[in-house]
Amino acid sequence: MLQFPQRISLCGFGGQGIILSAVLLGTAAVTKGGLYAVQTQSYGSEARGGQCQAELIIDKGPINSPVAETKNLLVAMFQTAYEKYIPILDEDGVLVIDPQLVTNLVRPIANTFAVPATQIAVDLGNRMAANMVMLGFLSECLGLLKAEDLLEAVKDQVNPRFVELNLKAVQAGIDYAKDNNLYYHG
Amino acid sequence: MSIIRANQLDAWEKRVDTGVHFMLGNYALVEGAISAGCNFFAGYPITPANEISERMSQRLPQVGGKFVQGEDELCSIFALAGASLAGAKVMTATASAGYNYMQEGLGYCYTIEAPVVVADVMRTRGDNFASYADVYQLRYGCSGDYEAIVVCPSSVQELYDYTIWAFNLAEKYRNPVIVMSEATISLMRERLEIPSADKIEIFNRKYTTAKPSEYLPFGAPENGCPDFAPLGKGYNTIYSLNPHNEKGGIDWDPDDFERLYKRVCGKIRENADEICRTEQYMMDDADYVIVTYGSEVRPSIDAAKLAREEGIKVGVVKLCNIWPVPETAIREVAGNVGKIFAVEMNIGRYCNEIARVAAGKCPVVPVTKNRGQIHTSAELLRVIREETK
Repeated sequence: MLQFPQRISLCGFGGQGIILSAVLLGTAAVTKGGLYAVQTQSYGSEARGGQCQAELIIDKGPINSPVAETKNLLVAMFQTAYEKYIPILDEDGVLVIDPQLVTNLVRPIANTFAVPATQIAVDLGNRMAANMVMLGFLSECLGLLKAEDLLEAVKDQVNPRFVELNLKAVQAGIDYAKDNNLYYHG
Repeated sequence: MSIIRANQLDAWEKRVDTGVHFMLGNYALVEGAISAGCNFFAGYPITPANEISERMSQRLPQVGGKFVQGEDELCSIFALAGASLAGAKVMTATASAGYNYMQEGLGYCYTIEAPVVVADVMRTRGDNFASYADVYQLRYGCSGDYEAIVVCPSSVQELYDYTIWAFNLAEKYRNPVIVMSEATISLMRERLEIPSADKIEIFNRKYTTAKPSEYLPFGAPENGCPDFAPLGKGYNTIYSLNPHNEKGGIDWDPDDFERLYKRVCGKIRENADEICRTEQYMMDDADYVIVTYGSEVRPSIDAAKLAREEGIKVGVVKLCNIWPVPETAIREVAGNVGKIFAVEMNIGRYCNEIARVAAGKCPVVPVTKNRGQIHTSAELLRVIREETK
């Protein structure tokens, strides 16, 4: 389980659902888990493309400074975003990447997990669900949040037309961690 | 215009979305307004305040209110003046540059003593970066003699709570009240706990009991505000920007002129202690204090904790409102510490007010940053170390 305060950065390009992922994580932590969370973001003015980053702090009590200077979890879903944010990851932090989109690792991090989230989503029929695969994986591998809380948050927050696909994608992410025995023991 | 009536209890109940939420700051401000009974909004789009208009346009129809997209800021603020006099609880939202455009209408609201609530989600010019550069504009933007009330939330929870407070102050003192927000907290999501409707204190305006023939639209006790008259019931009133007497007639007599502006300012100045709120953190044994407001409160509390780990006893005083200046609280603190750190996100503005109040009691060190981001706790700690050697 990731140490509190959990200082998380999710990054990629606009349109991958990076910010929605952070919102779902925060919603599950606050409304289901009884925790405190603060979420901020930065993104380009483009509707698709452009770098995008969402930051999330989760803790057991109220959080003051809204942005953490370093992170203990970085989830990178695109090479350029990875290169921009990898310097702020703690030495003993956790790095999760999509290996098809982050191909050149420039800094060795002991706890690195590769999750082909985009390919898994494509196999499920829609690459847009890659973020949900990633959330499912984070839930199982890092114990970041309970799978049932995540599934509830998805049902509450996601467009009803895509709920079924997204629930499948979350489950696929959970299964990927289980099938490959990918667990973080920090 | 539709106003929520007593028989529309369903709509009245729906206004409070009780429960624990993970909510965007701008949305929390809207929920605070709706909880307070806001039933009219007029505004013109501007980043980073847009989510306020967006959610207002969805929420107001649910509670029997009206949403108006103005053709500009000036139209919006004058629409507010009219709706407020008609009996609605009114709000607009804008950001720095848009707030400039509203000054004429806002000045009118101050003079005719119309309760309006304005959210200013401050930003730096040209880009949506965080800033508190306009703290003086919020106080001195309009022409003429008036006093401003400006509340300063520092979290998503306070965006909700202080907006309710703003509506209550506006109705109680018949004055515009500004909710000062900025890009950091407005676009941040955080835990928000909305209480049940019966736990929320609401102040409703006082209506006259006088007959139309005896009613004085601007007759009020010293340092008080006049009672409202219901519109359309025969209480004929002129609401003029010009100097006016108790009957509401335009009046250039210097005695009447003086009496009017003494009261319009006095109702805020002389009630400052009742209006102002501050909160203290770690002040019991503090040798030094950070006096700050808005989102800068957050890194300040962290910095004080870090300084204490190094044996430097720092406390924090949060100014929940900056105008009127919470002079009593600042003066008391200044008498009990060795130094005040005035932390703010601009080139050094409100530190002048703090220095004025603390004069002769303790030195004030301005800790300012105008780079589009709030201070980090590490930045504040460095200054504290340096200044307490």
